[in-house]
Amino acid sequence: MKIILKIFGILAAVYAALFAVFYYDLDGKFIYYIFEPMMVRRYDNMKREDTLKTPYDMKEDVMKEE
Amino acid sequence: MKISKKAKMVRDKMKELFVVEKPENEEKGKRDIKKIARDFWYGKPHEERRLGDLYIGDTGLYKHREWRGFVDTMYYFNMIWLYNYGHMVMDIMKFGGGPVKGVVNFSKGLMRYRWMGQTYLTVMHWFDRGLEGMRGPILRGSAWHYRGMVCETIRQFQEMFASDKKLHGGRESEQWKHNIAHNETVSGSIFYGFHDVLEDIPLEMIPYFVTCHVNNHTVLNYIDAAQSIGLPSDPCPMCQAEYGIFVLDDYPDFAPTMITSNEACDGSVATSVIQDWFLNRPLFAMPQPMRYDDPLVQEHCQREIEECWKFIEQQYGVPFNWEMYCKYAEEQNKLTAFEHEKWDVAANTPYYPINGVAQALYRIYYSQDGNRPIWHEIDAHVRKIMNHTVKNKIVTLPKTRHRVIAWSCAPLYYSSWCTWAYNCWGLNCVINMDSLMFDQFLRTDTYEHALEDLSWYNEKAPMRAMAVGGHEHILSLWDYMERFNCDMVVMYDQLQCKGMQGIHGVFEDEFRKRNIHAIWVPHALPDKRTVSRKEIRKIISDYMITVMREEPLDPTLVDFEDDSSW
Ligand code: SF4
Repeated sequence: MKIILKIFGILAAVYAALFAVFYYDLDGKFIYYIFEPMMVRRYDNMKREDTLKTPYDMKEDVMKEE
Repeated sequence: MKISKKAKMVRDKMKELFVVEKPENEEKGKRDIKKIARDFWYGKPHEERRLGDLYIGDTGLYKHREWRGFVDTMYYFNMIWLYNYGHMVMDIMKFGGGPVKGVVNFSKGLMRYRWMGQTYLTVMHWFDRGLEGMRGPILRGSAWHYRGMVCETIRQFQEMFASDKKLHGGRESEQWKHNIAHNETVSGSIFYGFHDVLEDIPLEMIPYFVTCHVNNHTVLNYIDAAQSIGLPSDPCPMCQAEYGIFVLDDYPDFAPTMITSNEACDGSVATSVIQDWFLNRPLFAMPQPMRYDDPLVQEHCQREIEECWKFIEQQYGVPFNWEMYCKYAEEQNKLTAFEHEKWDVAANTPYYPINGVAQALYRIYYSQDGNRPIWHEIDAHVRKIMNHTVKNKIVTLPKTRHRVIAWSCAPLYYSSWCTWAYNCWGLNCVINMDSLMFDQFLRTDTYEHALEDLSWYNEKAPMRAMAVGGHEHILSLWDYMERFNCDMVVMYDQLQCKGMQGIHGVFEDEFRKRNIHAIWVPHALPDKRTVSRKEIRKIISDYMITVMREEPLDPTLVDFEDDSSW
């Protein structure tokens, strides 16, 4: 019985905490102020292929005549 | 007691982030307990909500999310917020081929692609913006539509990540060999005859189109990248963004071939040319005629589709399967039939449980994407809700003052304007132009009928159907206005859309001649820098005040900042 009450208590606490995250938009605030700027820095500094070096020529035999 | 500078800063920050200021004119004195209890249970009446006070500066974040009354707040928390976060995790695992593989591929994609990491984690705010102020059945029906789009988005990016050469050391996996990449404007229905063997995935739908709605910051990088290599800045920014992804090397390499289209207009031809260069692999261009209802072009259009099938057969060694085509075309017809039922309720009753933004986005998404199980699942939920509202005569948007039809190409960075317009002015956007495209059943009794209908279906694709398919189509506005019982038009004015700019004057004349209240809303499709959301709101509010002489339902929504928001 005690264990069931304990589990119930823990679940209730988790549920309440999640409700606080939801109600106070803590998920939005975290992403906006912390996660997004961090990721943007990463993408801005990422080494990328120079796609302009891709050769541009005609492909042959893309469609075979029947 | 003296407060340190730091403590004061923290207190001010907390206040900024969490505390909603009381309005200046609110009476001080004893509290009305009965009213507090009523507001707690039912939520505040529309005119007292003051939704604009909930925002933090221009971020679009909330000091706290809206209290919609006990039942609706709990519904939002449990069945929208928790449910969707939970299901997103499950979808990542399910569509990624198992818990470990799914999470690993998702993490790799997140670290590699800007459109993934910057955009999609903000998804619950996309729900918030679209569902603000909604109560009861319309909250539920619209949220199901959002859930469908989220699920399909996850399916698509997980499929891409699982087979992406860039994420797997350049390896051409079996999955890679069985994928077909295509323009987002090539409809999924083209591939029904190969559906169970090959996987068709639109290349730009997730990296570009959906991002604009969820987090409008991301797309700006791609537009700027396109211009940075000397490409002109005046074509449609949709096309610029689509090829900007390639300039920045931010496209997943998930398929050995590519199928492109000139839909919606000539800007897309440039996209195909540039994609042909950067992808450097077999590419089939499947053009669709501009003046598509000319009988002379029908046969040509059907041949193009057959040529496309031949291309797939040759490249993959997989034959077109007629039975498979019929099976999926018939499934798709069920979606179209339900769409017609929805339109019927929207047009003739005030009991429609889908708001303007959910209607517009869901319809364009599933009809472009093609038949997938999730759409049927969502439609079953929505059908239940709609039956309930119709049977019990529940007016879903009770503060409606005007029934609005939104016409022409819409601002992607502000698709939720209609939610704002209802909350602020009682403008109920019943239907929009893009919802009405693809209005075509696919016959499966004979091969000839099937091909004929399929080519019609594709000719009636977004924008081609009305915006650039000939003036008689765009002028069908008057018929739809009547059919949907609308008394007002929000006329989108895409400043870089040459087709629509060409017919601007005709609309001006017609609106005047027909004595129709029309609000012109300028925008640049995905690019919020040309006309901001605030400017769009100001244009609508100015019209409502000066021409309609109406008072706002919620004055806090008339003028607020949201330039830095998602
Ligand atoms: S908005 Fe206009 S220019 Fe852009 S793709 Fe659509 S029809 Fe073409």
